[in-house]
Amino acid sequence: MKKLIMTLFLVSSIAYAKKEATKPVAQSMVTSVVASSPVTTVNQIKVGVKGMVCAFCAQGIEKKFLGQKEVAKVEVSLENKFVKLTFKDGQSLPKEKIAEVLKEAGYEAVFE
Amino acid sequence: MKSIILAMALLFSFGAVAHPVSYKDATGIMSYNSPDMNELLVTYSFNFNYAAAVTYLRDSKSEFAIPRFNYLIKRWNNLDSQGNIYLSGGLGSEKFNDKKYGVRLAEFIADWEDRRYYTYFEHLNLSRDNDTNPMLPNQSYNHTKVRLGYAPFLADYNDLNVWTILQFEKHNDEKQIEATPFLRFFMKNVLWEVGAGFDGSTKFNFMVHL
Repeated sequence: MKKLIMTLFLVSSIAYAKKEATKPVAQSMVTSVVASSPVTTVNQIKVGVKGMVCAFCAQGIEKKFLGQKEVAKVEVSLENKFVKLTFKDGQSLPKEKIAEVLKEAGYEAVFE
Repeated sequence: MKSIILAMALLFSFGAVAHPVSYKDATGIMSYNSPDMNELLVTYSFNFNYAAAVTYLRDSKSEFAIPRFNYLIKRWNNLDSQGNIYLSGGLGSEKFNDKKYGVRLAEFIADWEDRRYYTYFEHLNLSRDNDTNPMLPNQSYNHTKVRLGYAPFLADYNDLNVWTILQFEKHNDEKQIEATPFLRFFMKNVLWEVGAGFDGSTKFNFMVHL
């Protein structure tokens, strides 16, 4: 029983570490854009999300947006119920596409 | 007998841990373990409202393998909360003494949660062809579960979320309702729960989304 629990913790740690390992790539991309072109305005959008109440919800939303080639970084706030997207230089997503991605994840977009 | 009933109840235990259907292309892996049995469940969501899954459960006497289909009937996405109604059905087999028997299952789930409170209702019916196992006399097994959860503090996505959960279960025509308190830990794509029954039994639930 103990071995089984330890194995499950190990699997979860590996899965979590794997997920974390993919993040710095997106983050460093945004940083380099800002650092090399200080006058460049980073293109961002903040979208309210209805129904996002747990970490699994947020994880799904983050994963779906990181799968979009235009998106460099995704920040999710359960507290403030929004997702903030930072796009790659010169790129963006139309609101319709953002709403579609959220719908695929099972949630509803609220645009200000 | 008690362990067998518990094992039967656990056939659907993943529903007690997380939503039976996740986001499009999500794979979920869950395991439930007690001293008497092990369960592994794998789900794949084709969309936000339907998923295919396979449950494998082993105990000292029987092995169950049940492919199943989970469907989200209705979801309420509110700004501060979410509610869901799910139906699930499956056809599988029970292996007992080197013979295989048919198993059919149906399940109804309703839940509602916000960041502070969590409620969950589940009713399961399992119909078995095997009438040769003296430890499993009920060929039509019914199981009802209610869960009430409370988060003592609100944590954000990158923080460790902790929940206290009280679970009530009733098996078939048993008069007794089993109550189990759980501690749930939840961070990003990993969730685990540790429960201890008032009779001293321990339970461990685990889930990861890949």
